[in-house]
Amino acid sequence: MNAIQGLRPEKLRELVLLVLIALVLIVFSSVIENYLNARLFNRVSASVALMAVLAIGQTMVVLTRNIDLSVGSIVGFTAYFVGYQLSQYGDMHPLLAIFLAVGVGTLMGGINGILVAYCRIPSIIVTLGTMALYRTLLVEYSDAQTVLTVNLPRWLLDLPSLNLISFDRLHLRVLVVGMVVVVILFQIVLKYTTFGRKLYAIGSNPEAAKMAGFANQKMVLTAFLLCGALAGLTGFMFLARFGNITVVAGIGFELKSVAAVVVGGVNIFGGSGSAFGAFLGAVLIDLLENSLIRWLQISEFWRDALLGLLILISVATDSVIMKRFQLYWARKQARSSPET
Amino acid sequence: MTNVWKYLRSWESFLCLVLILTISVNAVNSDAFLSIDNQINLFTLAIEKVIIALIMAFIIINAEIDLSVASMMGLAACALGWLVDAGASMPTALAICLLIGMLGGLFNGFWVTFMNLPSLVVTLAMLIGFRGLARVLVEDRSIRVFPSWFEELGQQPILGPLPLAVIIFFLLLILAVMVLRFTGFGRYVYVIGINKDMARYSGINVTAVKLILFTLSGLISALAGILFAARLGSVRGDMGLGFELDIITMVLLGGVSIFGGSGSIYGVILSILIVLYLRNGMSLSNITGHLQTGVIGMLLIFSAMVPNLKNYWESLRTSRS
Amino acid sequence: MTQALKEVSLELFPGEIHALVGENGAGKSTLIKILTGIQQPDDGEMFFSGNGVQLSSSQEAQALGIAAIYQEPMVFPDLDVAENIFISHRARGIWVQWKKMYEDAHKILSDLGMILDVRAPASGLTLASQQAVEIAKAISLNVKVLIMDEPTASLSNHEVEQLFKVARKLKQENVAVLFISHRLDEVFEIADRITVLRDGEHISTRSVEEFSREQLIREMVGREVDQFYATRQKKNYGKCVLSVQNLSKEAVFSGIEFDLHEGEVLGFAGLVGSRRTDVGLALFGIQPNDSGVIDLDGQNVSIRSPQAAQNLGIAYMTEDRRKLGLAMPLSITSNITLPALKRYLGRLGLIRTESEKSTAEEFKNRLQIKTPNLAHEVGKLSGGNQQKVMFSKWLNTQPKVFILDEPTRGIDVGAKAEVHNMIRELADQGMAILCISSDLPEVLAMSDRVLVMREGRQMGILDGSQATQESIMSLAMGELQETA
Repeated sequence: MNAIQGLRPEKLRELVLLVLIALVLIVFSSVIENYLNARLFNRVSASVALMAVLAIGQTMVVLTRNIDLSVGSIVGFTAYFVGYQLSQYGDMHPLLAIFLAVGVGTLMGGINGILVAYCRIPSIIVTLGTMALYRTLLVEYSDAQTVLTVNLPRWLLDLPSLNLISFDRLHLRVLVVGMVVVVILFQIVLKYTTFGRKLYAIGSNPEAAKMAGFANQKMVLTAFLLCGALAGLTGFMFLARFGNITVVAGIGFELKSVAAVVVGGVNIFGGSGSAFGAFLGAVLIDLLENSLIRWLQISEFWRDALLGLLILISVATDSVIMKRFQLYWARKQARSSPET
Repeated sequence: MTNVWKYLRSWESFLCLVLILTISVNAVNSDAFLSIDNQINLFTLAIEKVIIALIMAFIIINAEIDLSVASMMGLAACALGWLVDAGASMPTALAICLLIGMLGGLFNGFWVTFMNLPSLVVTLAMLIGFRGLARVLVEDRSIRVFPSWFEELGQQPILGPLPLAVIIFFLLLILAVMVLRFTGFGRYVYVIGINKDMARYSGINVTAVKLILFTLSGLISALAGILFAARLGSVRGDMGLGFELDIITMVLLGGVSIFGGSGSIYGVILSILIVLYLRNGMSLSNITGHLQTGVIGMLLIFSAMVPNLKNYWESLRTSRS
Repeated sequence: MTQALKEVSLELFPGEIHALVGENGAGKSTLIKILTGIQQPDDGEMFFSGNGVQLSSSQEAQALGIAAIYQEPMVFPDLDVAENIFISHRARGIWVQWKKMYEDAHKILSDLGMILDVRAPASGLTLASQQAVEIAKAISLNVKVLIMDEPTASLSNHEVEQLFKVARKLKQENVAVLFISHRLDEVFEIADRITVLRDGEHISTRSVEEFSREQLIREMVGREVDQFYATRQKKNYGKCVLSVQNLSKEAVFSGIEFDLHEGEVLGFAGLVGSRRTDVGLALFGIQPNDSGVIDLDGQNVSIRSPQAAQNLGIAYMTEDRRKLGLAMPLSITSNITLPALKRYLGRLGLIRTESEKSTAEEFKNRLQIKTPNLAHEVGKLSGGNQQKVMFSKWLNTQPKVFILDEPTRGIDVGAKAEVHNMIRELADQGMAILCISSDLPEVLAMSDRVLVMREGRQMGILDGSQATQESIMSLAMGELQETA
């Protein structure tokens, strides 16, 4: 018990996740031959790059006791939109393309945020609605056409395989580095800025936040804006990674991002969790998916079924662990106070 | 209570107004709209969703939500196809599918009641999980193995012009109205939706009521899945994908509060008609399915906003007087 | 709309503790909301340090140095103690300096004489510690006016003393403290001046020496109350209904033993944290005991759920009317018949509405519930009438054993007397009653015997003749008494 003294709940969650990831690696490397190799790292890091960025956006929203189910549609729309623009104007500056993706995402997140914060509609309803709405927008805008790789500029197609550093066959791709920057940036924002702490406060006790004079509505809107922006960025990364964009792009991402967040120990009722945790959640899910398929040779159709179960179990264990933890704090408190 | 009723009545009368408006616009736009055939047809085309909306109303009044209904539909339908394909007899297969529905619902209920997890998370997970299982069963095939009587049951009228699914719906409708409005169970559903803890402290078996509701939700979703399979004559892994959106829209637009504790089946019926007529009207005017989904999405947001706007409007009025 | 406040004047001076008293509905909460900028007055002026101010939000009040702490503190459960103290600081800038924050928090708390781990999440704190955090927050914000809204309602005596020490300290530092309490003893102990409100009007403001207890009550209720608590006539009671031996629940309570007879009122006394409510909840099956024997009418029973308790003839009336007692949006009738709804079901599980209505009508007359009609929403009734509906709801289950948890919490003096009479009548009719109350005079007046608990253990059962405020308190304080 001494070891976890002084640990904050978030730290404990992250530690548990790291242990779990290590456990997965150890278990699978003993059952799969040649499991721990550069290919595993490259493959997992490439897909985590997208999911982690999206999950961190989702984290911002979930911290404020909300949820954003429209992120998958936002990813799809921005991927198509930017892809279409690039296929029309191939000489567009890369930064402008990224800016465009983030901008469109932010706009869509803003619509969610305004409806949730200022029209006071439960976020699950709003985003269930905009999930359909943004998807419709994509279908209408694309006229059921596809963005094809051949029409995209060279730099974009090279981006996913662009390495920052390589150690032998272990490649640190630019997109992965971008993701790491996002994780660090948001971890700092959440932990070391007043804005970040206020997000926690609002999710922890909205009433008290209001009494303390926080601009709850503005904060919730900001969370949705950030989530939209990161979803837009994910859309751009999606475009770079896959090239061919159809109207079904990003379907299912909303659930995966929620899964990563929840597995990453962000409390679905708001108020606790961290960006780093969400990142670890994304890693754990992807690692498990990858390993299970390689180990059992099971069809990829099993993935979703297992994913659903995984979310349930992790939420359940999380709530059990946290209850224990709180009990421990309460006991410690009771011991240290002189009267009771 | 009088005030609640006043509010309900006015909300329902508002729905009536919208409904009449929709009917008139549709009738003017298309001669075919008012024909009996079209009426039955438009009902039949959405009958699975409409059936599930009835149980969803109970669940939402109970201050829970079940997002996994459409995936359960798909799972039951795929299980049926898979079983028959594997040589099971039709009655056995049907019974097993209904059992799967009940067990799936019970599974949801278990996590919600005994593990105390929010139903939003649980059923979101099972939205993925059930759909995944459905895909495991049929992969990316389309199974078409049903005996002809089964397909006829799904497609041909059996009582006057009414097909089986529509008859089942009307029976369930009467049952739902009776149970929710006039029975002790219905009272419990409301009371738990208003305040779960208070219900427990009043000696109500909250766990049992919630388990029953989730089990029924699974069972009825499976039934709807079977009817869907009969109507289409084949099953695929993506059957009913995204139906939960339509279903929840119908319930919320009908005046059932997402926070639980209020709403009625009457309102839900009115909103079902509005949604169906809107979709039908759009189809008759050659508006694509995707755009229709977008309109439904907008309607969902709108339906959640209207009570707020109404409150706002009333607060303006009282502050002025 | 009725007027909540009419032409009320109030002056607060630096370095005084000013008590604000009045019955429920006297307008205290509205006044507090106006002072803290949460609500705005229709008319009238406010001066702060001689300057006219208009508060349009709680931030503006905070910026002036007006802060409030409430009966239920408004903490952020997921944040730690130090963050709770400093989170609303506007001057803190963009970056959070954790180390400095912990140091500052520690300093403020130790200046207050509070020992708290500044890194502990607030969710594990006791109510008293949460209040300490709130006070520390106010101090860190350079408070000039501190409003304490019934801060002692859920504190133990020791914690109240601690709070008073802090209040006196703030007084020395020239803070104006506005103290709201229902407990007159506390008001007389701590206040320099007292302001009485009644029905939204200002009745009087005088220094505490100029008030006598009787006079203060008279001004609060606006009528003479000849006997505040009538004492219970001792009488012989019937056979033993409920017998409990060595009832225990791990880490909550242990070794509870008592017999409860027909027509007897057994008082449960103890400080907050003595786990009296938990014993009640165990007997009602909400938090079942894990060892011990419960005999009902001589039969050994096990109570695992509220439904089981109800079937055995045990009723439990909660202390938290709003959250656990009543379905506020439902009608009086639906609330009254709720626990016994099975009795009103006809064929096919349909509710017999006529029979429901006649039950409600009967209780309305018997308990004199004041309401326009029985279809009226319970949430719109006054506290006293809601309490009567709650009584009706449980009496309708025709219990043999009736557990009352704080039966007069949050209702005004008049309604209190009615509830007391009702409890006496029920006992006289032969019901066995277990009455949990923090109000010592109430316990003494109502009970035939008093069981005293301390930290989950039974300290003793006092007979009517032995039970006095002093004897109960000495048991309830346990070892503290011995060491003193």
